[in-house]
Amino acid sequence: MITAEQKPIDEIREMIAPYKRILALGCGSCVAECAAGGEKETAMLASTLRMAAKIDGRDLLIHEKTVDRQCVKDFILPLDDIIDQYDAVLSLGCGAGVQAVAEIFPDVPIIPALNTEFIGETRDQGYWVENCVGCGDCVLYDFGGICPLTRCSKRLLNGPCGGSRDGKCEVDPEVPCAWQLIIERLSKFNALDRLEKIYQPKDWSMKQGLGPRNIIREDQQR
Amino acid sequence: MSQLKKILDKGDLAVTAECGPPKGADPEAIFKKAELLRGKADAINVTDNQTATVRMSSLAACGLLISAGLDPVLQVVVRDRNRIALQSDILGASAMGIRNVLCLSGDHQSFGNQPQTMGVFDLDSIQFIQVVKTMRDEGTIWGGEPLTKSPELFIGAVANPFADPLGFRPVRLAKKIRAGADFIQTQCVYNLDRFEEWMNMARERGLTEQVNILAGVTPLKSSNMAKYMKKRVSGIDIPDELIKRMEETPKNRQRETGINICVETIQRLKEIQGIRGFHIMAIEWEEAVGEIVGRAGLLPRPSFDQD
Amino acid sequence: MIFSGETQMKSALKLETGCNHDMDENREQKLALFYCERTPESSEQDKQSLEKKYGNSIHLFPIPCSGRIESLHLLRALEEFADAAYLITCPEGECRYFEGNLRAKKRVQKAQEIIKSIGLEGERIGIVMNEHTKSLARQAEEIMGSISHLCPSPVLHPHRS
Repeated sequence: MITAEQKPIDEIREMIAPYKRILALGCGSCVAECAAGGEKETAMLASTLRMAAKIDGRDLLIHEKTVDRQCVKDFILPLDDIIDQYDAVLSLGCGAGVQAVAEIFPDVPIIPALNTEFIGETRDQGYWVENCVGCGDCVLYDFGGICPLTRCSKRLLNGPCGGSRDGKCEVDPEVPCAWQLIIERLSKFNALDRLEKIYQPKDWSMKQGLGPRNIIREDQQR
Repeated sequence: MSQLKKILDKGDLAVTAECGPPKGADPEAIFKKAELLRGKADAINVTDNQTATVRMSSLAACGLLISAGLDPVLQVVVRDRNRIALQSDILGASAMGIRNVLCLSGDHQSFGNQPQTMGVFDLDSIQFIQVVKTMRDEGTIWGGEPLTKSPELFIGAVANPFADPLGFRPVRLAKKIRAGADFIQTQCVYNLDRFEEWMNMARERGLTEQVNILAGVTPLKSSNMAKYMKKRVSGIDIPDELIKRMEETPKNRQRETGINICVETIQRLKEIQGIRGFHIMAIEWEEAVGEIVGRAGLLPRPSFDQD
Repeated sequence: MIFSGETQMKSALKLETGCNHDMDENREQKLALFYCERTPESSEQDKQSLEKKYGNSIHLFPIPCSGRIESLHLLRALEEFADAAYLITCPEGECRYFEGNLRAKKRVQKAQEIIKSIGLEGERIGIVMNEHTKSLARQAEEIMGSISHLCPSPVLHPHRS
């Protein structure tokens, strides 16, 4: 899933300052999973902003609505019925959601309430960790299901470097050395000899693309 | 031709030392260090923005050393440059007469004074070694396009016998050799037992015959330095007896003890089969190099004629 | 009413500095009080007699377990009618559902952080983990005492300049 965290409240207040009628738009997918922009969080943020406005003696209307998935056009289109009531949308979607809404309603100012962060997993309740950089050419098989591009701080494909300490990365003693993990995992499968070969330089053009990457599937089109 | 290569090819013990460029644009800083090291080492490593701290570029500093009549080892980290820039610098280095290059990963950018920068890491150090070897021996850039003139470079890599996971280290060494490393400089040695263990593993795999291993040594300046390095710097193993020895020395004699330990270490390292030389990293203490090399019986160094 | 020394001091301070609103100082404070049904002497009858006693100053919300409280409930209480919103839970280690009161504690903390971020006093939200198993009435009394120094909420009574 894509993870995000709510922006500091002062930053949000500053961005919404010019507007009086706001639609706070939540998303029921990734950002709900990481407790940043789901229905509950949208209600909390709206309530907080309304209270802040009242304290300031400011006129402010905020309504809340949550769509299943903010990055899908078909889920956003129904907002057409209500969007005219508002002079801005405060989106609690990830960057994809914010922009998808902006694309459908280009005349409505849209404000991001979240900072989108990474593709990751819910490793434990209340704990999300990055595990994929979207390189476009997955090499997880070669490394026992542990991605060195994401989890090695230096993206080494022929690791480890000399900096690890007690199995932890030099940059942070809380971060496990990905190569330590890879070696342990491959040892379990008796596949350690896989690491004897020199892994060739990565084709980064599959991650960078020519402009924003896209996927087109004609079999999926109307 | 590389002086370092010449000496190693002859089968003699080689000595290299390290020179850190200044945090500024003054070439005098390099020339001063050059004079302290002239005649004390066969080749002089110039570090590349070590600890991710902005310094005069290694390439430029090596160029200055060439003009001063010395044989530099260009250190290159993959943290700051993509494969276009790396290959470009290799061509430029060779054009300037630099004949040795050391390929490293580099300390992570978060350690230095520009932590907000993007770490490049387009290639890793082993891929980079391969690229340099391809340029030198096949006369092409990565991907096969021919060069008008191949670079002439003696290729080096770093080995850390003290890093985790210990069992995997010889595999990594083998990979570096297969990628094209001609010489290895190790992280500084204090724990001789552990170092011997690593050398044994390397020897068993036949690696000591395939590559020139230079053991790294660093003189301790003080007991505080020893304790700091043990605690904070990854991949350095200082046995407690050495720390004790430094602590028990009065402060004004600690430098002397540090040099003694260094000389003793070199003497022991000389006994280990497969050691082809020493890499003396006297950080901000280049004056000590001469004394260490002298007392270790490694002077005079063979004369260097640039060609 | 039982006041702690600290509360007395705070009340005195309030009288001295005055609350920053141009409204009636004597307007009664409204407390939203959420409480676990297992709080001693908190039957429907007890609830009604408390409501009779305190009138509009207290709004009581029984819940099956304090773990059912969401930060949102506390925020909405402050947004709509309350000068303060408090939660009474069972003592630590004695939640019938094992963790309910511990989760409640975290949610109360979260709500406190949020109101502080917009300039409200953190004490407008609070939790009492009923260690001495006091009755609902007793707890209500004590909580009302501990918040008496708070000015009427600026959310409900904005300062007009």
